[in-house]
Amino acid sequence: MTDDDELLIEQVASAYRPVSRDELRYHPRWHDLGAAGRERAFARGKALRALEAALDPDGLSTTARAVLARIEQAFPPK
Amino acid sequence: MDLDVHLEAIVGGDPRAFGHWMAGAEPRVRDSLRSFARVIDVEAVVQETLLRTWQVAPRFVPDGRPDGLLRMAVRIGRNLAVSETRRMRTTPRDADQLDAAMDAEPTPASTPDPLLRRAIAECRDKLPGKPREALDARLASAGGKDDHDLATELRMKLNTFLQNVTRARQLLAECLGKRGVVIDQELGA
Repeated sequence: MTDDDELLIEQVASAYRPVSRDELRYHPRWHDLGAAGRERAFARGKALRALEAALDPDGLSTTARAVLARIEQAFPPK
Repeated sequence: MDLDVHLEAIVGGDPRAFGHWMAGAEPRVRDSLRSFARVIDVEAVVQETLLRTWQVAPRFVPDGRPDGLLRMAVRIGRNLAVSETRRMRTTPRDADQLDAAMDAEPTPASTPDPLLRRAIAECRDKLPGKPREALDARLASAGGKDDHDLATELRMKLNTFLQNVTRARQLLAECLGKRGVVIDQELGA
């Protein structure tokens, strides 16, 4: 892996995904990774999500927080 | 723990209860999609799976076995991943592995270890300034902002921001390793 590949993996391993109403939205840089890089991004993301959950007072990863934000946006509290 | 303890509140529309459920369910949904990692963006599928689970939860009928909602979520995730694989016109690396994943039951939930949580928090507190800023920005954004925006907010170039994220997780891994905590090897890579 080159240094550029490593930085790409670091980006794709985050929980950020563009918001979309109708379809799955990939991380914009996911397509720039080869198969091995995609596997590394999966593994990195898994490790980061566990770390994030351990640092969160409610035990939620940034993935779970992102999903909750989408739910609360779609169904605002009354 | 049977994650269905949260089911009644989830069906009642309580996002907080769904958050408690996700804390246990998300890693298991993610693990069930490992076989697809080379061909689809699993993070996107995990998020969509969790959202769809919330949407269909009010119609979920328990079968009397533990973790019913989780088992349904795993099915939703696998079906979504298969559809997405077809849409991308690719095939998973190992068809046998995929079949096994489709048939597998979700793994049991593991209880978060309070000592591990404390060790991670203490190691986070020891991070130097810039890596800590980058990691905290990622955590605070909760997947809502891309790294370019986070870097701009911190007045860093994108590559500098990413290098600081890398440094933060490597230093965390090193700190945890010194404390004898067994960590995911990828955290320190």
